[in-house]
Amino acid sequence: MTLSGWTWPEILPVFAAGAAAITALYLLRMRRRQVVVPFAALWQQVTRESDTRRLWKKLRRLLSWLLQLVLLALLCAALGDPRPDSWLRDPQTVAIVVDRSASVAGPAAGEPGLTRLDVLLRRARAELAGLGPTDRALVIAAGAEVEVPGPLGRDAAPLLRALDGIVPGPGEADLGRALALARAALAGQAGGRILVLTDGALDEAAGDALATCISGHVSSDSPDAAAIPCQVARAGGPADNLALVAFAARRYPGDRERIEVLAEVHNLGDGPASAVLEVQADGLVVGRQAVQLGPGERRREVLRELDAARTRLVANLSLEPGADPQQLGPPDDDRAYAVVPPLPPFKVVLVTDGSDLFLEAALLTLQEHIQLTGVGPADAASHPSLAEADLVIIDVGDRPLPDPLPPGDLVIFDPARVAPDAAPIRGAGELVRPFLTEQHREHPLLDGVVLKDVNLRRGTRLATEPGDTVLVRSLGEPLVVLRHELGGDGRRPRAVLALGFDPRQTDLPLRTAFPILVANIIGYFEQARPGFVASVPVGPSRPVAAAEIGLGAQDLTQVEVRGPEPADSPSTVPVDATGVFRLRAMQPGIYRVRAVDGAAAGAEVLVAVNQASVAASDLHDRLGELPPAALAGEAAAPVPVRDEPLWALLLLAAALLIAIEWATYHRRVTV
Amino acid sequence: MAFWKRSESPQPERPAPAAADDLFGEAFLAKLELLQVIARRLFRGKQRAERKTRKVGNGLEFADHREYSPGDDIRNLDWGVLMRLEQTLVRLYEEDEDLPIRIAVDISDSMSTSGGSKLRYAQQVAAALAYVGLANLDRVGLTCMSRKLHTTLPAVRGKGRIFRVFDFLRTAPRGGPTDMRAACGRLAAESAQPGLTVVLSDFYDLQGAFDGLNLLRFRKHEPVAIQVIDPREAHPELSGLRGDVTLVDVEGGDAREVTLSPAALRAYADAHEKFCQALAASCRSRGIPYFRAETSVPFDELVLRMFRVGGLLR
Repeated sequence: MTLSGWTWPEILPVFAAGAAAITALYLLRMRRRQVVVPFAALWQQVTRESDTRRLWKKLRRLLSWLLQLVLLALLCAALGDPRPDSWLRDPQTVAIVVDRSASVAGPAAGEPGLTRLDVLLRRARAELAGLGPTDRALVIAAGAEVEVPGPLGRDAAPLLRALDGIVPGPGEADLGRALALARAALAGQAGGRILVLTDGALDEAAGDALATCISGHVSSDSPDAAAIPCQVARAGGPADNLALVAFAARRYPGDRERIEVLAEVHNLGDGPASAVLEVQADGLVVGRQAVQLGPGERRREVLRELDAARTRLVANLSLEPGADPQQLGPPDDDRAYAVVPPLPPFKVVLVTDGSDLFLEAALLTLQEHIQLTGVGPADAASHPSLAEADLVIIDVGDRPLPDPLPPGDLVIFDPARVAPDAAPIRGAGELVRPFLTEQHREHPLLDGVVLKDVNLRRGTRLATEPGDTVLVRSLGEPLVVLRHELGGDGRRPRAVLALGFDPRQTDLPLRTAFPILVANIIGYFEQARPGFVASVPVGPSRPVAAAEIGLGAQDLTQVEVRGPEPADSPSTVPVDATGVFRLRAMQPGIYRVRAVDGAAAGAEVLVAVNQASVAASDLHDRLGELPPAALAGEAAAPVPVRDEPLWALLLLAAALLIAIEWATYHRRVTV
Repeated sequence: MAFWKRSESPQPERPAPAAADDLFGEAFLAKLELLQVIARRLFRGKQRAERKTRKVGNGLEFADHREYSPGDDIRNLDWGVLMRLEQTLVRLYEEDEDLPIRIAVDISDSMSTSGGSKLRYAQQVAAALAYVGLANLDRVGLTCMSRKLHTTLPAVRGKGRIFRVFDFLRTAPRGGPTDMRAACGRLAAESAQPGLTVVLSDFYDLQGAFDGLNLLRFRKHEPVAIQVIDPREAHPELSGLRGDVTLVDVEGGDAREVTLSPAALRAYADAHEKFCQALAASCRSRGIPYFRAETSVPFDELVLRMFRVGGLLR
């Protein structure tokens, strides 16, 4: 507090003189008027009670004298025109960036019952309360989407109201955009300062943006951005959190009426945790399982053979009775949504010379869920369907294998017949009239397949490598081998099944085991295909391919998006030429997407949106040590009044005291 | 800390001796004449000197019995009782005799407060009573009394003596504390013949207010109490008195620092009323006529009320 009017040496003599005058008047007031009465004995009876309060009366007189001195002190202080230091300093402009990511919903350290966001907002309010009358501020909420709930202004009231409306949102804080916005808002403003209020649980991008802001290395497109100091106030807390980081469902290719659900739970805390995972389908509980995870452990739970009639799935993490409620952390990652995706046809390309009718017939029986394409050996290297095929079956008899081989999953009959090194699984010698003596009965490829007494005219002994699965042997020699390896492009893993015989040279096609084996092969590779459609992560602009969610993309230019319940009015979103549209998914849940035009006009599909982000669910402070200059200290002391001079307040207080004294005097309280 | 402090010899306001025109002027005399006419009408048919005394003697009206003792007149023996009860009782009769009127005026300092209105009022009432008594050929004597002063006008008879009464009242000294017991005791001692004794005072004497009257009664007087009250003293809130004051008794004594709040003033008014009611109740319980005379009421109205209520003059 600084005096901008009279100085103390000027005020003190005035106060001393006034105090002396008040004391003199007080002493004069203490002299009593003499009143002659005819019957003092009766007065004595009446006033005997008041004698017992004489000490209190004297004290009240003393208080009355002190009251007058306080009154004088207020008036003298008004002469000094005191002003808080914040009023006299240079104007400041503060951009308060509040982290409203999912992690700020976590508990605050040492503040039972308060979340980190509560502590951050308290700090923001203190900052606003300490602003001087010439200072300005704005409030930026940095969630998955950046908002400005409190625009730049001097009046703290709308900014405080804006703070009241900030709540934790799903996903991570887009600090990069928030800081860029803050710098743009402060450009050209006097005394600019950015105050970042965060719990420190930031993802890598946000951490980098903050580090850049602190270090002052800002982009050159902001003319005076380097001059804007950036400070951080943190409010951390316990990091215990169990999160659902993945949740998806898929149909069984062979049984479209059944589905399989995958849920992945991650313990992001520093101690063991346990919870109950519950899956609901259209409101009915279809699966429930207790999970116990060690620190940092991640576990996948698969619920199989569920009824596919239900299309909307919700997974919930809940506590076991008596468990510590802090284990679950923020609620956004304790619930996830999934929809059962459409099952696209399994594309099978059969490279054959057309002489193996038994194989073609076996494949044709599966055409309900596969899309079979036949390709001749001459076209096998360049046919376009090979690039889109999910599985390529090569059965070319005595012809050489295509070169190069397709990069995806392969099933090759008699791969080393022409050249031992033509296939990934090489041949190691020919076998004459081999017997199928050993069979891996537990493998799904041979489920229900009986190879006993199958006659082979010839076969090829296959060379195995570590990791290969030998499914059938002939007196110990590998005859059918399954190998998982990187594909022909060297990036994508694939599986290669090599059968060391030509079906035409056996009686296997004549047995019931053959179509079963073919069905098992198709089913195995179908199951190995991912099939689970990942949910869309929360975000303001997520690209979604219409075809991937089962919406026909042909001639599609617009889709209508309706958010989760309670649904707002639908919004129309353009679709680009590649069939991709941008989904604004700011709230986890199940969205409805409807094709406005195109071949699939009117068709509607469901899309699940989840937080499903380990970075967003991780409550650990990842900012690390910050330089001292980047740490925001305590907020300035609040100023009782913002715009009115304090001397007016002092005079008001003096007038109030006079009124109180006057009223109490006339009621004989202060006499 | 002593609550009481010795007063610094307060000088009570003493009214100057009232001029004859003020106290007993033409208007006053005109009212006295009117009172006399009214009194005559009220007492028509009554004989002079018919006042009954409590003295038992040779009158005609039966008063009481008592045991016969040797030397009693045997003619007064109640033979009927003797025959029925075989007890020797003597019949006693009230004795009729001339009853003097003594009017005592309290001249203490407490009567001189508030500009002496109470004393002036008491003097006018005393003069009026004396005039009516003299006009009825009663013997009327006056006494001005306090603890310090005691002056007496011997009993006089005849209407023409009224100016001596006026002179006595006008020139009588005044002052001193109130001491009703001592004053009445002296009054009773110097009165050779008991009679009707009218005491005009404010009776501001907590201990002796009633004792003095009772002493007169004990000495065979027939006391009549007239309590003169100034309404401004009975209700001090009417005078605008409030705040921090030092109360000083007009008759001397300790000073007292008090804060007069409205509640304290109301409490005093209540206490004063209770004091007056207690005095009135004490008088009534012993057959002493009691009148409250407020100075705001004209003195002639008070005298007429006393006539109508009876018991004072007849």
